[in-house]
Amino acid sequence: MTVQRITPDGIIPAGNDLAPIIDSLQRCRERIADVPINRLLDLLDDFARRLLRDSRTAGLEGAMFLGAWLRKANLRQMLELNLGGNTAALDGFVPQGRNHIAAKPHGLVSMWMAGNVATLPMFSLVPALLAKNVCLVKLALPEANGMDRLLAVLAESESEDITGRELLDAMAVVWFDFRDKKLNDQMSLAADAKLVWGGAEAVRAISLLPRREHCIEIVFGPKYSIGLIGKATLESDKLDAVVDGFVRDVAIFDQRACSAPQTIFVERNSRRSLEAVGRLFAERLSRLPPKPELDAYTTGRILQVRAEWAIDESKDVIASADGANWTVLLDREPTLKEAVQSRTIFLSEVDSWREVVPLLSPKVQTVGLALGGIDDSLAFAESATRAGVARCVRPGIMNNYESPWDGKLLVGELVRWVVLKP
Amino acid sequence: MAAAEKPTIQQQVDDLIGGPQYALTQANKDAALTPILRELCRDVARRCPGYGRFLDKFGGDLDSWRSPADAPPLPVSMFKRFLLAAVPPEKIVRELHSSSTTGRDPSRIIIDKTTAFRQARALVAILKEHLGTRRRPYLVLDCADAAAAGDSLTARGAAIRGVANFASETVYAMDLDSTGDLAVAWDRVADFFDRHRGEPVLSFGFTFIVWTRFVVEAERRGLAFDSPEAVLLHSGGWKKLTEQAVSKDEFSRRAAAVFGTSADNISDFYGMVEQVGTVFVDCPAGNKHAPAFADVILRRPLSLAEAAPGETGIIEVLSALPTSYPGHALLTEDMGVLLGVDDCPCGRKGKYFRFTSRVEQAAVRGCGDTFAQSRELK
Repeated sequence: MTVQRITPDGIIPAGNDLAPIIDSLQRCRERIADVPINRLLDLLDDFARRLLRDSRTAGLEGAMFLGAWLRKANLRQMLELNLGGNTAALDGFVPQGRNHIAAKPHGLVSMWMAGNVATLPMFSLVPALLAKNVCLVKLALPEANGMDRLLAVLAESESEDITGRELLDAMAVVWFDFRDKKLNDQMSLAADAKLVWGGAEAVRAISLLPRREHCIEIVFGPKYSIGLIGKATLESDKLDAVVDGFVRDVAIFDQRACSAPQTIFVERNSRRSLEAVGRLFAERLSRLPPKPELDAYTTGRILQVRAEWAIDESKDVIASADGANWTVLLDREPTLKEAVQSRTIFLSEVDSWREVVPLLSPKVQTVGLALGGIDDSLAFAESATRAGVARCVRPGIMNNYESPWDGKLLVGELVRWVVLKP
Repeated sequence: MAAAEKPTIQQQVDDLIGGPQYALTQANKDAALTPILRELCRDVARRCPGYGRFLDKFGGDLDSWRSPADAPPLPVSMFKRFLLAAVPPEKIVRELHSSSTTGRDPSRIIIDKTTAFRQARALVAILKEHLGTRRRPYLVLDCADAAAAGDSLTARGAAIRGVANFASETVYAMDLDSTGDLAVAWDRVADFFDRHRGEPVLSFGFTFIVWTRFVVEAERRGLAFDSPEAVLLHSGGWKKLTEQAVSKDEFSRRAAAVFGTSADNISDFYGMVEQVGTVFVDCPAGNKHAPAFADVILRRPLSLAEAAPGETGIIEVLSALPTSYPGHALLTEDMGVLLGVDDCPCGRKGKYFRFTSRVEQAAVRGCGDTFAQSRELK
């Protein structure tokens, strides 16, 4: 059995062929298209309440945020933004001047997920389901990673016109080896829309799979995120709160999310030296609970950068005494350091935020911005977003999935706009 | 009566090299190596400012070191990133460098006279325990260029030369062809085995070269030699062989068939250019042991604590040989399993372990994976 299906009851073998799963999903298209959007929002709102109360899901990393994100008011706001205020168009034609428009699902959305964030599939599934698509989701790792428990709680959720169990019929979450060309081809050819999350190699490989002519492709590729602490913040009493925020952004998902800060630029100032800022980060990082585990590769990478920064006379390092738990690396080079992840922060001193702008490109997704003044913040955000940056947000919320993400309004991309001119 | 004078660190190292290599229990080895490593690290740190900063940062109070595990391991990749020399240029007798088959910057290891002398003596001391003292005809499964004399030497060259200490006659089995590739001179090889029929002969080569150029090619040509007393030592990475699904057992069995000897006479040894002279040779039970002047620590990922018997960990190698560079405690990029301490069936004392794999990057890292893309970022 090469296909594993993740279900509310755990992982079950599902044969060597995706065709039965794809057929079953196709049969659900009409059913989900008939459910009013308000009922879908009610169901997800009930799911949100349950997942935070249920012992199976409450402790999952990112569950708290997912619970807040799934609330009806939040999702409604997201739909309004994504659909230009035409949320009702999801249920059928609505007047648009003298004509009518509607937002129709693409059909079957095939999703290739990245393995770095456990709750990530939900942030793809929910927009696709709200757009009334059926979904085939391939996880990156053979472990359920909490997905089975999320599905179990969703299965028990309810609303007036649809139950969680029925919504589950509109989705299939599977795993198979990423090198299995036949299954990848099958999944790609079945798709009306392909949604891909992952590193460069994975994204390139999936883009090369055969697809039907009408199939669209939405890619959330590899990204790098940074932080920026301005002089005004450094010379104020707000620095503690800013550092707390960055440390939260670093801790969640073990800094593996594309939105987690890797390099944080610190403006030269008259009150705090780079070393003092480094010590503050170190003190806050040391308060985090120890990491439960770490792979040998990342451990080795952490020890390498520690050694490199210690040996180089122009650099410095502050590191946990208890193994490879956390590391703060200090230098005065305005460069983006190669991401090491797992509580490894590069602090780089710059004279001004203007030195950071030339480093920015579409590869940089999120900037955790703590410049301190609104004028500088606006000026930086203008330059950064022109260079390709997708988000400039305050420290502490860098990993909060929101819409737009990577410049995309996802629900808007997962519908086809149709028109009626009677 | 005056108390006996305590031997200097230099004497202590020389004594360990000159004594039996596998007789120390782990407790005795820890007791012998800890003060040596402390003084060597302190001394090299004084003369190599970069290492001095590293030791200041991660070594703590050296006088409080209670075991070799207290010495902070320096990642081997630092020899690619920095030239870590603890001697002035006029004292350098040789620069060793890794083969850099991956195209990346090679490691550069600075060797002074003392280190070179110790390395040569140490390798002889180790191999003597496996081969005996008798010199034998030596068939190098490589070309002469790989070990050519000069101011610099690769890991391959250093190993070829080291084993040559046991040679009564040296024959290189391969030449470089017009494309720069290695090609076996089969007539020369046949002549070597004909002239030494029935004699104990010694052969050495890098694992991947031995396999691809010699064993597989000999099989393809239907060649096998009748040399029951032949011993083959081989060393080097297993990654390419693992990719070809060649296990160590299969390697030994098929290489033995080509030589016409027993698979027990095929021995792998673990070593690296950053610690030439310190090699970990397979014992008859198939396990690797550290010689008296060196040790191995398997570090658990994350905590970096020492692994217990049965556990896998990142391999750290310790050695008392270097005086010209900070190579006393090195964190490798390899994984191994610690099998036990002082109780290997072969009778050798100390820790014994097996290499398991290179430290590999996780297959799936996701959308935050921007490794090796720093140049693409802008």
